[in-house]
Amino acid sequence: MENKHNSENQKINQSLTVHLDDSIIEFLKQREVDISHLKINPQESSQLIFLKKKDRLWIQFPDGQFCDFAFYLKNIIYFLSHYGLQAGPVKTPEDTFLNFNRSVETFQKKIYSSVSLNPNDNFKDLWDEIIKKTNLISNESHSLRSLVEKILEVPFLQKFESSIIYFHLKGQTKAEMIGTRWRSENVNNFMEVKDFNIFFNSIKKSKIKTFNSEDFQKIKLPFNGSFLAKEIISKKFSLIAIVSRHDFLDYSDEEISLFETCIDLLQPHFDRLIDQEFSDQKISDLRICLKDFPLPLRVKDTQTGTMFSNDLYRNDLQDKDIFFNKKILDPFSLDLYDSDELRHYAFDLFHFQRISLLGELLNTLRHELSNPLFGLKLGSQIFTSLDINEDDRLIMIEIEKNVNRCQQIIENFSNLYQIQTEKKLNGLQKMIDESLMLSKSETRQVLKHVYYSDDSEKLQLNLPQIFVVQILFNLIVNAAQAMRDQIVRPEIWINVKKENAFATIEVKDNGEGIPDEKVSQLFKPFFTTKSQGTGLGLVLSRNLAIKMDGNLEYIKDMTGGATFKLSLPIK
Amino acid sequence: MNKILVIEDEILIQQSLKKLLERRGFSIDVSASGKQAINMILNNHYDRIVCDLMLQDISGFDVIEESKKKFSADEISTKFVIMTAYNSPQVLSKANSYQCKLLNKPFDNLEEAIRIMTV
Repeated sequence: MENKHNSENQKINQSLTVHLDDSIIEFLKQREVDISHLKINPQESSQLIFLKKKDRLWIQFPDGQFCDFAFYLKNIIYFLSHYGLQAGPVKTPEDTFLNFNRSVETFQKKIYSSVSLNPNDNFKDLWDEIIKKTNLISNESHSLRSLVEKILEVPFLQKFESSIIYFHLKGQTKAEMIGTRWRSENVNNFMEVKDFNIFFNSIKKSKIKTFNSEDFQKIKLPFNGSFLAKEIISKKFSLIAIVSRHDFLDYSDEEISLFETCIDLLQPHFDRLIDQEFSDQKISDLRICLKDFPLPLRVKDTQTGTMFSNDLYRNDLQDKDIFFNKKILDPFSLDLYDSDELRHYAFDLFHFQRISLLGELLNTLRHELSNPLFGLKLGSQIFTSLDINEDDRLIMIEIEKNVNRCQQIIENFSNLYQIQTEKKLNGLQKMIDESLMLSKSETRQVLKHVYYSDDSEKLQLNLPQIFVVQILFNLIVNAAQAMRDQIVRPEIWINVKKENAFATIEVKDNGEGIPDEKVSQLFKPFFTTKSQGTGLGLVLSRNLAIKMDGNLEYIKDMTGGATFKLSLPIK
Repeated sequence: MNKILVIEDEILIQQSLKKLLERRGFSIDVSASGKQAINMILNNHYDRIVCDLMLQDISGFDVIEESKKKFSADEISTKFVIMTAYNSPQVLSKANSYQCKLLNKPFDNLEEAIRIMTV
């Protein structure tokens, strides 16, 4: 074969007679590719004619049919694909062939079927040019806008000034316009759906597809004059394609027919590009949602593995963004994973926010209450010292005591919720007493017993007091609330022991206990049996315990009631 | 030492102090407003002025500043007793600049507080 087709000097329609390398015929045969319909056989292969038009090659078979095809020469395979003429050294002929074969199939499906044309009729030139000018068989590198702009590069449309599309994606509240060759600030790129529908229907009903901008004043087209329009309806959108020369002259029948054919031809590409841009938008929305999701999470794909993880997800994933870098054209589904051990981080954050908010709140409360309480205290002290009868004096003394208690509670709470988590030696007994004091109002009517064994009342723990008190407070209040309506006198036992390197504090009640089927959900966020619970108390408590290298667990108690066991490291 | 002005906008505290001090034999005037208190100070004689810092209209410091029209710095340091629930460093340093006595609310020790107010 003469290897002249690459030469720059060759002009349009130069035909070459080439000899097909026997190896490609052999190759096809080996692959059991049915080539009988191509009406070639090894002997006749030399009669295949390759037409070269500029840089593109077409093969004309002996029966006069054209087909885009490949030829194979000295280990170089040349073939037409979606990407135009491709040539390259063949490393593995099989792969290249398969690739090529697949692209030809898609190519033919897309182009031939969309216009129901045979490539050998008069339209071949047209779609050859369209394909070439718009480069639309390229799957990459095209936006909807560039496709709209390229329409004006198609030969017979070159005299036109404007190319515009209006499209409405199903389910959207507005139709959008994309256009070319105008840069007016006043043009509205969006249109109400009902206006779009009126516009669409008038175009659909028209036989001649020729209109005048004055007929559609409401639409405010970005040009004046007559125009050609053609509607496309597809599963996901309705679209109106418009071209105009910006004059008031009529269009010829040929122009109308060519325009219609061209738009028909482009339909699959509008389809693909609109879908792609729409899914780009979906992906960017999704990215924002996932990035800011308040729990650690990752997106997993059965094939790729982890494709995305947000900042809260502490993982050394190299490319956090694989998921979003991947082109997703089809509707995609996601599996969101968050794992138990990774929840802590988010809940720590949650806990921290809660503490700082409460701290602020309590500080304000303390300031606001301090004066009225002081007044009460002073007043009661004065009356106590007055010459009043003994009964009244007792009442006054009680008032003073209660005022003191109010002050103490506020003081304790605001100390508790100050954000200071540094470890400090704290007496275990003191922390338990404080928890009981803070929960006093929630545990009214509840008998409380505290037992220390193994000298545990003397234990000093090097842990943040705020954490320990908060866990115990949660456990005590939970127990009290669970027993609220029971007939038996509610009781809480707090048993403190030493177990090796741990201090264990068991909080046990004599309530109904926790049904077996619910035990597994106890430490899951948002699990609650209370009508007004947040379902976060136990989760937070366990997270705090684990954070201190301890643990919090539920213990099944044969005697009924619920028992929670908090273990805290002594060292 | 027998006439004391108590400037305090919490009526319960104000009246309690009044009653408390009257029972110890002092003559007490009270005011809940800083501006009214200034007038009283300028137009009357008081041996001691117990002044809360956080008043509704102006601050206790403003009352002291206005009183400078009548009293020398020395007199201010002995006449005024400042009461406050907010002993922030700023408040303390400002109070110190007048060299007068400071009472923290609530009183830790009532007798001690009475002593500071009356001696």
